[in-house]
Parts: sequence; C-alpha cells; structure tokens
Amino acid sequence: MIKNLLCADFLKIKRKGFWFLTFLGPFGVVALQMVNYGVRKDYLLQQSNDEWGYYILNVSTFTPLALVLGVVILTSFMTSVENETNAWKQLIAFPVTKISVYLSKLTVLALLLFISSFLLMLFTLGFGMILELQGQIPYGKLLKHSFYPYFAVTPVLALQLWIAIVSKNQGVPIAVGVLGVILTYSAYLLPDWMIWKWPSLINEWDEPLINVLLGVGVGSLLYIIGMFDFVRRDVK
Amino acid sequence: MLSILSSEWFKLRKSGIIFIITAGPLVGLIIGLLPSFPNEIEINQWYMLVLGINLTYALLFLPLITGVLASVICRYEHQAGGWKQLLSLPVTRWRVFTAKYMVLIFLVLIMQLLYLSSIYGVGMIKGFTDPFPINIVWKSILGGWIATLPLVALQLGLSIFFKSFAAPFAVNVVFTLPTILVVNSEHFGPYYPWAQPFSMMNIGGGTDNVFFVPWDQLLIVVGGSFIIFFFGSLQYFYRKPI
Repeated sequence: MIKNLLCADFLKIKRKGFWFLTFLGPFGVVALQMVNYGVRKDYLLQQSNDEWGYYILNVSTFTPLALVLGVVILTSFMTSVENETNAWKQLIAFPVTKISVYLSKLTVLALLLFISSFLLMLFTLGFGMILELQGQIPYGKLLKHSFYPYFAVTPVLALQLWIAIVSKNQGVPIAVGVLGVILTYSAYLLPDWMIWKWPSLINEWDEPLINVLLGVGVGSLLYIIGMFDFVRRDVK
Repeated sequence: MLSILSSEWFKLRKSGIIFIITAGPLVGLIIGLLPSFPNEIEINQWYMLVLGINLTYALLFLPLITGVLASVICRYEHQAGGWKQLLSLPVTRWRVFTAKYMVLIFLVLIMQLLYLSSIYGVGMIKGFTDPFPINIVWKSILGGWIATLPLVALQLGLSIFFKSFAAPFAVNVVFTLPTILVVNSEHFGPYYPWAQPFSMMNIGGGTDNVFFVPWDQLLIVVGGSFIIFFFGSLQYFYRKPI
C-alpha cells in the first residue's frame, strides 16, 4: 500500500518544480559563497589557518536558513496538490489508511531534503576544490555540516507538514514558516529548547550531536501527534 | 472603483489576515525583548534597539511577508473559478489590479504602524528613559513602507500567475536571501530592490535627506523597479487567459 502511495506522490510532484527546488537550495547556499569568495578571497583566506574548516563554516552559515525555507516551501507545495483541487476526499476514498497517506507525504519530503543535503555536500566539496584550498580535506567535518542540520530540522518538518495538511488556507503554514525562518536567522539569540535553533547546530554544550538526537526525537513525537490529529479530522 | 475596493475588503475579512499582519510586530517584540543588545556606547537607547530589531525585520521579514499577503489576497480568485466570476462583473482588469494593489499597500502600512508600536512597547517594558526619537523612527517606518511598494507589485503579479502559495513564495525567497550578503556590499547594495527595505529602515544612514537613502537612489532604484514591476504585472494580468 505504502509503495503505491509513494509512486502516486512521486507522480504528483512531477513537472511542478520540486526537483528544481531540491537542486536550487544547496546550489544557492554554495553560490552565495562563490560570490563571497569571488569578491574577497584573499581577505577570507587570511582569516584562518584552517582554510577548509573556515570555508565549510562559511557555507554552513546559510545552510539552516535554506533548509528551513526548503521545508516550508516543499511542505506547502506538497499539500497544495490536494488542497487546490479538493482531492483529499478522492485520495482518502481509496483503500488506503490515513496513516499511510501521511507517512507517504513525509517520506517523499524527507527524501527530497536528503537529496538536497547530499547535493550540498557535493557542491561544497566541488567548489572547495575549485578554490584550491590548502590542507587536507576534512571529510568528517564536511559530512557533519551537510547532514547534521538535515536531522536537526526534523521537528520543523513535522510541524510544517502537520500545519500544511490540516489548514485549508495555505497562507497559515507559509506565515508560520516565515516566523520560523526569522527565528532560525536569529538562532544565536534563542534559548536552546526552541526547535528552530537546532539546525544551526549551536547549543550550550557545544556538541552538535545533541541537536541531531533531540531533533530526531522531538521530530518523531511531533510527527506522531500530527498524524493522529490528521487521522481524527474530518475530510471535507 | 470604490465598490471593487469594498468587495476586496469583504473577501479579506474572513481570510485570517489579522494573524499574518500581527506576526510582524510580534517578531519585533520577541527579538526586541531577547537580551542581546549591550548598550555600551553612550547613545540614545532607542537607536540600539531599533538598529537591532530592524536587522531582522527589514532584511528578511518584511520582503517575505509581503509575498504572503499578496498570495492571500488572490486566494479567493484562484479557488473554484473566482477569476471568471470577478472579471465577468462590469469591471476593468486595470481597476481590479489597482484595487488589489491598494489594499495590499494599505495592509503593509498597517503592519508598519503596528511594528512602530511594538518598538515603543519594547522600550516601555525595558524602561527606557531617553526621549523617543520620533522623527527618526517615523522616517524609518515610512521609508520601509515605500521601499516595499515595488516588491508588493511584483509579488501581486506572481500571485496572480501561480495558483499555489508556495511558488510565489519560492521566487520571493530566491530574491530575498541574497540580500543578507548584498547589504554588505557598497557596489550592489544600493541597486538591489530587495535590499531597499533594509536600507531605508536602517537609521544609521545620512540624516540630511527626508529618508535614509539619497533621493537619486530612491527615485532610480525604488521608483524604477516600481514602474517595471507594477506595469509588468499589470501587463501580464491584461493578457492572462482566464
């Protein structure tokens, strides 16, 4: 059942710009560094002895922002397929459970974002090589800064998917998303318990892994709450 | 014209617009109350506060939320053939577009005024004793409003073009995010339309003019992009097959 639903969901996102956005997010994040390094490469290289480390740090200043924006846009886009055409009724009328409908939407989104994170790693590595940065390539750090934010953003994904699926008016999830983006942008000011801070991998203990574990844990919890809310709701 | 405006107003009342408009001042309030702006230098306390909040509000929030407002205002028409119904009335497309645009800029103005009151509120809560620099804050609030006029026109056009909410928002994000880098650049900052809300709200700029940016920059960049975006969107709406 879930396999068929996934197939259907992948068909629905065809030729709507999903794949383009999946590519654009990581490309944009690295492109901003292309501009940054293009304008003032000499100055930036003087900032630190660890050229690769400093470069990856620069890239990752925009990663949380792009990731949260990506979550907001993709979730709203994903549910707008059903919302615009009032197709929820038709979809639920099939011999599928509401739980699996919800799960399938989440799986597609999680997969798209995972591809984004993977592309981010490739682009970061590629542009770093083009820049001919000195020293050993820190693969561990590269992996961390590409995939840790992905797991830490899970609660935001679960929350946005919940709001986007249950609201008739897609202005609501987008407005909540804009607030989330603003909170992510000011992450360094926020207290540690706010989910929008986690993708930035900052915390009191200076241990990014805590954000990842918290993210996956709270994300699953929010996902389950959202799913049961969706199951209990009437489909209009 | 008046009847189109009032019908827009009726459509708006049930669309949850209050929630979106109050989000802006709320952001200002939250960021302002976070303990983050050390006031080490001896200047008016209000300056530091406004500088700090504007950094987030004008740079990202204002350009992004105008796009959401524009989508909300076209929502009823995109549902179930609303464009057909609206345009079969004895109205011209020019008037429909202008009415929607006027409602939008009115909403942004209200949001700016609420933002002003939230700045004042933060100061009151923190117990500022310095005199409130009303002249400078006014310039900032009105300047930010004027700078969003072209962006609102473009977003309205995009919202008419796309049926979904996410697509115009995505376009908006693509243009707004680079602002974070662009405002640091002396060469590109003054010419980038999406950076203008920040430049015009940033109270550090030259204070001799009416606004915080030189007149020629205001006229060429904001005025020029307004003409392009407004008439471009209008032209598209004229030709849009309903």
